[in-house]
Amino acid sequence: MSSLHGTFEAARIALAALRANTARGVLTTLGIIIGILAVVTTMTAANGLSNSFKESASVIGADVLFVSRTPWIVMGRFFQFRNRPNLTLKEAEKLERQLHSAIAVNPSSETQRPVKFGNETRDNIRIIGTTHKQMLVSSAVPEQGRFFNAYDVQAKRRVCVIGKTIHEQLFEGLDPINKNLKVGRYDFQVIGVMEKQGSAGTFGGPDFDSQVFVPVTTFVKLFGGFNRNFDFAVKAPAGASLEDYEFEVIGEMRKIRRLHPNQEDDFAINKMESLLDAFNNVMRVVLLVGLAITGISLFVGGVGVMNIMFVSVTERTKEIGIRKAIGAKRRAILTQFLLESSVICLAGGAIGIALSFAAAEAIDRLLMPASVSLPIVGVALGVSVLVGIVAGFIPAWRASRLNPIDALRYE
Amino acid sequence: MALELRDVNKTYEMNHVGVHALRGVSFLLAENEYVAIMGPSGSGKSTLMNIIGCLDVPSSGQYLIDGQDVSTFGEDRLAEVRNSKIGFVFQTFNLLPRADIFHNVELPLIYRGLRPARRRELAMAAIESVGLADRIKHKPNELSGGQRQRVAIARALVNDPSIILADEPTGNLDTATGAEIMAIFDELQAKGNSILLVTHEEDVARHAHRVIRLRDGLVESDAVRREAA
Ligand SMILES: Nc1ncnc2c1ncn2[C@@H]1O[C@H](COP(=O)(O)OP(=O)(O)OP(=O)(O)O)[C@@H](O)[C@H]1O
Ligand SMILES: [Mg+2]
Repeated sequence: MSSLHGTFEAARIALAALRANTARGVLTTLGIIIGILAVVTTMTAANGLSNSFKESASVIGADVLFVSRTPWIVMGRFFQFRNRPNLTLKEAEKLERQLHSAIAVNPSSETQRPVKFGNETRDNIRIIGTTHKQMLVSSAVPEQGRFFNAYDVQAKRRVCVIGKTIHEQLFEGLDPINKNLKVGRYDFQVIGVMEKQGSAGTFGGPDFDSQVFVPVTTFVKLFGGFNRNFDFAVKAPAGASLEDYEFEVIGEMRKIRRLHPNQEDDFAINKMESLLDAFNNVMRVVLLVGLAITGISLFVGGVGVMNIMFVSVTERTKEIGIRKAIGAKRRAILTQFLLESSVICLAGGAIGIALSFAAAEAIDRLLMPASVSLPIVGVALGVSVLVGIVAGFIPAWRASRLNPIDALRYE
Repeated sequence: MALELRDVNKTYEMNHVGVHALRGVSFLLAENEYVAIMGPSGSGKSTLMNIIGCLDVPSSGQYLIDGQDVSTFGEDRLAEVRNSKIGFVFQTFNLLPRADIFHNVELPLIYRGLRPARRRELAMAAIESVGLADRIKHKPNELSGGQRQRVAIARALVNDPSIILADEPTGNLDTATGAEIMAIFDELQAKGNSILLVTHEEDVARHAHRVIRLRDGLVESDAVRREAA
């Protein structure tokens, strides 16, 4: 049999045989359906995770170190850091003075306040006190208006730059520039709107589009500076290795804190890499759980398909005998049954893929942006066929080896 | 295609007891012969046909096709012989129940690896030659016994085999229908095919030119019919 065209014929034969037993075939493929649903959903989730990570991580410059009281990713070591002293604005100034090479040292702190425009109020909005140097340590820029400048900071002006979501939800299409926004009990003048940045919510991080930037000086004055902890974003000089620069920053911080050589750091250095670690951890869990479910379901499904194929071969022993009597070679019989099991699995796979579109829709609505992509569908179809071939092989092999006369005599 | 059996034995093992179905059968079959095999039930007729049709192998002795020992053939070679050198017609038709008539007749051509257009041409010609052109879309269970046997004959001759083997082809048919089937065999033989058929009926055997009688796995007689000679 010429192979391609022979395969096509075998597919036709297999389909004709399947049509008679569709219901049974679909029932046994439940495992395949769940397995494919799991594999597509896992890959879609991983994809969405990776995208939302890239989106939110891109806001944080790769050449920026963050000096903070605790590491971003604490992982249950919370008590270890509880007694560390706060990072203060004074320390930020000292650090800037001592780190000549740094492009910028930007202190920032945050709190939560309700914000109000007209009759619209949003509670628990992240208010971030920062300086004009925010523009140097983050890649996000205002899409409308401007960020505050050195003068705004120095003069403790009551100006603010709002996130895209705040703009959309509170101003409902109105131009917010120069409008008054109530932050807590105080009036601020909106001078800019940040571009859309996405959310790090999937990693327990903030929604970057629902925050309000105010000058750190104003922030301290109105919301209190005593006992407040700051983060220092340090932008490394161009060309410096971030690892080397980290040592320099640690050294200067230890000097500022007057730590003895035998004392541990009482602050932490964070960078995008730490986020990457967190991301990888989440990713690992998603993949592990997804693959486990996929593996188990596909195994169970595969065993089911193997079983149905054994039944099919036994039931059709006489048919196999007839086919052999009129000249079917072993290969033709093997191909016929392999195709049959592949088609069963493909049918299950197709149902699984259809269901995973619904699953992706749910993930998209509840967790993070996610959509089933064409390559993922391709992989899923490939996996279905592979399971079909693996599960169908032994029954198909057995069918192909049947002795013609014994098969023909079978009742 | 010439066939030769040399001292062919076939023994079935049943509960450690050997059943001797054939006990040293020898004969020659030249091209374009018309042979009837007769004999009482259990005398080994079907066993013999299965061996000649390459569906089964002798326990001992030799079976030669055009001088070549079949026992040296591999599985694929045997499949090829069954596919294009031999056409088998069974007492119980042995059609694929779920496939329509056209597909049943087309199947040997598929296994031969022919393209669809050529298959259609040959299958239609074979179906027409047994007078069932208007039934190609029907399933076997929508046909009468005689029609089913004609489908089986169309399937057997679609690859233009040298020999057609028919094991009691009229056994499940009434006399009139059986006569129709025999007319087809007569025609095929006149066109140059060999026909080897098993029958219990003298009326059917009368179509053949030579009659081989088996008894207890042995050739009892092998003679050219007087009328035919
Ligand atoms: N598969 C088998 N296993 C065991 N014994 C068998 C088998 N096939 C045939 N036999 C035995 O071999 C002998 C010959 O059987 P065979 O079918 O060749 O007879 P037959 O001449 O075709 O009979 P009938 O006219 O009834 O069809 C019988 O005794 C039968 O029981
Ligand atoms: Mg018989």
